Amino acid sequence: MKIAVCVKQVPDSETRINLAAPAPELDQSGFTRVLNPYDAYAVEQAVRIKESREGVEVTAITVGPQTVKETLKKDCLAVGCDKAVIVDDPALAKADHAAIATVLAAVLGREPYDLVLFGLKAIDGDAGQVGILVAQKLGLPHVSTITKLELGEGSLKAEREIEGGKEIVEASLPCVLTCQKGLNEPRLPSLPNIMKAGMKPIETVTCRDLGIEAPANLVTVKLYSPPPARGACKLVEAEDPAAAARELARLLSEEAKVI
Amino acid sequence: MPNIAVFIEHRSGVLKKVAWQMLSEARRLADAHGGEVWGVFLGPDAAPAAATAGKHGADKVFAATGDAFAVYDSELWGTALAAFCTARKPDLVLVGSTALGKDLAPKAAAKLGCACISDAVGLKFDGGWEIRRPIFAGKCFADVTFSTPLAIVGIRPNAFVMAESPKAGAVESFDPGLDGVRSKAKVMSVEAATSGKVTLTEAEIVVSGGRGIKGPENYPLIEKLAEALGAAAGASRAIVDAGWVDYSHQVGQTGKTVAPNLYVACGISGAIQHLAGMSSSKCIVAINKDANAPIFKVADYGIVGDLFAVLPALTDEVGRIRG
Ligand SMILES: Cc1cc2nc3c(=O)[nH]c(=O)nc-3n(C[C@H](O)[C@H](O)[C@H](O)COP(=O)(O)OP(=O)(O)OC[C@H]3O[C@@H](n4cnc5c(N)ncnc54)[C@H](O)[C@@H]3O)c2cc1C
Ligand SMILES: Nc1ncnc2c1ncn2[C@@H]1O[C@H](COP(=O)(O)O)[C@@H](O)[C@H]1O
Repeated sequence: MKIAVCVKQVPDSETRINLAAPAPELDQSGFTRVLNPYDAYAVEQAVRIKESREGVEVTAITVGPQTVKETLKKDCLAVGCDKAVIVDDPALAKADHAAIATVLAAVLGREPYDLVLFGLKAIDGDAGQVGILVAQKLGLPHVSTITKLELGEGSLKAEREIEGGKEIVEASLPCVLTCQKGLNEPRLPSLPNIMKAGMKPIETVTCRDLGIEAPANLVTVKLYSPPPARGACKLVEAEDPAAAARELARLLSEEAKVI
Repeated sequence: MPNIAVFIEHRSGVLKKVAWQMLSEARRLADAHGGEVWGVFLGPDAAPAAATAGKHGADKVFAATGDAFAVYDSELWGTALAAFCTARKPDLVLVGSTALGKDLAPKAAAKLGCACISDAVGLKFDGGWEIRRPIFAGKCFADVTFSTPLAIVGIRPNAFVMAESPKAGAVESFDPGLDGVRSKAKVMSVEAATSGKVTLTEAEIVVSGGRGIKGPENYPLIEKLAEALGAAAGASRAIVDAGWVDYSHQVGQTGKTVAPNLYVACGISGAIQHLAGMSSSKCIVAINKDANAPIFKVADYGIVGDLFAVLPALTDEVGRIRG
């Protein structure tokens, strides 16, 4: 069985964005980059499947510059992925979701995979599209936002989160899945495994190697804007907590008019 | 003269409020710039949807009905929405950013090869479209343009205000093009969650608890205030990871992003990842015993105090005010 996991390197969740006024570019040069947290669930799930049956090979795939190598080694290869592919092409520096999906579909089209795992969304662009776009491009079924997975022979059963409950979905293999928190607890890499990960193969390819042209973008960001500034906090003071609570309720009802 | 189509979502016959919010905004845009507003409905029976869609400004409702649309199916519904777009050529299709919509929008866009823009909160038309959406969980906004004739745009619930503007809303059926289409992923059943009657991402008020509640046995303090307010109950990641509440309640960069009219943070310090998920709420209230907690930096109202003393009194008072 072959499993592919598509992973993205993103700015750390601690990242602060200091944008004083609208600007055509977002300066990301100082950002610390890590594995997208949702992709860690996808990696962990792939490795668990590998550990539970014979003959499973897990390939991590990413589109990004060579700086992703450390993340690939530490968070993918050192926790159990067997090999990795980096699509590193300057023509993709500003690729949008549709373009990334086209490139990933080209990588995934080189050999048959039984399962292709994605994170639910990347926490920089917050789009949650790439997995579903790739599934359609490959002509495969997908189940998005999964929180539970049972793999059968040639089929799978997954649970996905919906408002106020969950859906139980059955799909045939090969299949694309996008992974949500709750699916598993990702493990941390051990120091010896990080050392050994250096021995695992990482293939670097360009669009030309994949036999495609760099795909055109469908969307363009014209301007980045900071969120609107908030006013100062009004602290409610009173002789005791109960009185403060009553005053707060009055303010919310009469001043803010939100209750 | 842009024509805007709005996807009218239902779950087992229950229509989603976000559809009326999107129709209202589409109507405002059409009144300002010309063009028509169309509802698109997939389901067993279009009549109830059409009546309400007309009330909120739909000139027409295009419907494909039948058993195929009783439960959500990405392949079938995606095919149908794409077939509608191919036949009617709207300029923009709005789909609510719900569990269903987030799956359907990219699916249909991939079939059409058109642009897909997720989780938007603002639409501007000025000869061309400019779509505003939060990125980095709301730490920043991006104004996006697109190069395809059509774009499918996800709209965050509560981003737009619902309004009434009666139009005909007459139903016209369309061919969803399902001949020969087979789905390889099927929803076998739907299970309702036991807790949380109001859905977090759609709620107008959210009350969240953090590590300050001390233990899972005290989460009902949060739930009771939420109930008194008709609100959804949320949580910080700290208490989700501790196993006190289910992940579906988590608010933040790796949980739900919410933007309700009122967000009440109880015993939550206000870590950057939590703020990312709720800082665009219209009014924020913080209840925390530490006056230096970062949550007060984004709050509009605050009480520096013990939540165990404040919450029961607040719940009583809210109950009294809301009668
Ligand atoms: C990759 C990553 C992703 C993350 N994603 C998220 C996310 O999506 N959402 C999220 O919330 N966090 C997220 N976090 C975690 C985040 O960094 C914080 O650890 C978390 O938000 C803290 O939760 P808390 O405020 O409940 O707990 P604490 O920080 O421990 O704060 C508890 C607060 O309760 C107050 N308190 C204590 N007792 C009382 C009392 N009796 N009355 C009133 N106040 C009291 C304290 O003063 C304190 O301010 C993420 C972290 C990482 C690294
Ligand atoms: N550049 C990329 N390289 C590889 N996988 C990616 C890339 N961008 C996104 N993905 C995958 O697609 C998922 C959804 O991303 P997005 O649609 O950007 O929110 C991520 O969690 C990754 O699994």
